[in-house]
Amino acid sequence: MKRIVTLLAVVALIAALAVPSFAGGKKVKLAYVEWDCAAASTNIVKAVLQERLGYDVEILPVAAAAMWQAVASGDVDGMVTAWLPVTHADYLERFKDKVEDLGPIANGAKLGWAVPSYVTVDSIEDLNKNADKFNGKIIGIDPGAGLMRVSENALKEYNLDKFELVEGSGATMTAALSNAIKNKEWIIVTAWTPHWMFGKWDLKYLKDPKQVLGGAEHIDTVVRKGLKEDMPEVYKVLNNFKYTSIDQLQKVMAWNQEPGSDRYENALRFIKENKAQVDSWLK
Amino acid sequence: MDIPKIPIGHFIELFINFLVDHFSFATKAFSVVMEAGLEFLEHAMMAVPPLVFIVIAAALVWFLSKKRSLGIFTLVGLALILNLGLWNATISTIALVLISTLIAILIGVPLGILAAMNKTTNRIVMPILDVMQTMPAFVYLIPAIPFFGLGKVAAIFSTVIFAMPPSIRLTCLGIRQVPTELVECAEAFGSTRWQRLIKLELPLATNTILAGVNQTVMLSLSMVVIAAMIGAKGLGGEVWKAIQRLQMGNGFEAGIGIVIVAMILDRVLQQIGKRNN
Repeated sequence: MKRIVTLLAVVALIAALAVPSFAGGKKVKLAYVEWDCAAASTNIVKAVLQERLGYDVEILPVAAAAMWQAVASGDVDGMVTAWLPVTHADYLERFKDKVEDLGPIANGAKLGWAVPSYVTVDSIEDLNKNADKFNGKIIGIDPGAGLMRVSENALKEYNLDKFELVEGSGATMTAALSNAIKNKEWIIVTAWTPHWMFGKWDLKYLKDPKQVLGGAEHIDTVVRKGLKEDMPEVYKVLNNFKYTSIDQLQKVMAWNQEPGSDRYENALRFIKENKAQVDSWLK
Repeated sequence: MDIPKIPIGHFIELFINFLVDHFSFATKAFSVVMEAGLEFLEHAMMAVPPLVFIVIAAALVWFLSKKRSLGIFTLVGLALILNLGLWNATISTIALVLISTLIAILIGVPLGILAAMNKTTNRIVMPILDVMQTMPAFVYLIPAIPFFGLGKVAAIFSTVIFAMPPSIRLTCLGIRQVPTELVECAEAFGSTRWQRLIKLELPLATNTILAGVNQTVMLSLSMVVIAAMIGAKGLGGEVWKAIQRLQMGNGFEAGIGIVIVAMILDRVLQQIGKRNN
């Protein structure tokens, strides 16, 4: 017991000796999901708010459900990673009274099923004939994701009775893909663009003639209700924040993929290289 | 035969919404205080230069465990963490685990004593412990956000729930295992219930209680990755980030960090337990 007391005393002593540096000033909290597109956009917003407007911005990587819940409960001020109309449809439906959707930052995002380019099948309609080569599996992501829901629909619509959709996570999906490509095996994964896997490997989307997997997606900014009144400046930047095209976002994501690169540094680089665009967000 | 589904989920949702509407101001306030405390502890530990910290920690471990090998392991292990660039994440994780464990013990041990002394309490507490230990953390992590906010306090909340049961169970067990002859003896000498507890049962149960505390620390550490999903950062955050991006090397590095911290804490606590014999 004495030792425990000693231990606690030492901890208390260290605590008392240190000078806590509580950052003063205006604080903004943003949540994001640890996807490359989300991390890139979130860091750019962070950099703009910090470097240009002097805010102290905290960015929190969390799970998608936690991100939406946190914006809805007003615990974070917003996020720039809402995938709509399909992927995050359930979340928006649940929280639509508590959040404000500020519209897209990028159009032309996409959901679908992807295969390595050496796979000779091109369309979802031809999958049933080749079920054996794929082991009858489609490698999915988190069970709750909107992409999984539309993938279930696709299984039904195309009568893919020889296939099962395997649940897992974004990480297990990319791991399975990586492994299959190494062994030149055939594999189907549920995929979305922008995603780093398209930069790393040579992949192609399977054609989806029935448009079950959704057309184009857009990535929206969503903020908590009341941000407009509390922090009009921040609201304005979040409202104006927009890429000229999805390629612009892909480019930043590619920078972030370079070994040893720092996301915040890359965000600063983006601000420097696109000064006029960033200025227009502040107006 | 079509029996309607019992709307358990619906009622739970109503209940949670009710709590959020009426009590979240209190939990939010609690959250602010906790966060300030945690931040203070973290800043304090980070203010110490890493190398100085490592030497102090190694010396402390050596002193507490009276084992030189463990002191050397602490020195090398923490130096490795520093070398891997995981210092800040590690400190943040240690702060989180320290506070979680402290809360878990402060609630758990008294509850364990109560459960050992009182049959009704025991009957109520044990099934709750089953729920606490087996309910997947994610089920209550997301609803915890409106109460405690995103980040460390919600993480502490879930960690405490997950890590507390062994403290309660083993405290209860330790007290119940005190031989009846000794209890009768104490009663024969006319000791009160309090005297019996403080002077006989608790000292005899110390080892078992410490084993429970040890388990609590270990479970707290095992929660850090799950807690990262709601923004707890730290070593768990590094692991989670690396896994999401398929950077297996980074994932293992951060994992090794967790293992080193766990081994140091575990061995020190075990040694303290042994010395009590």
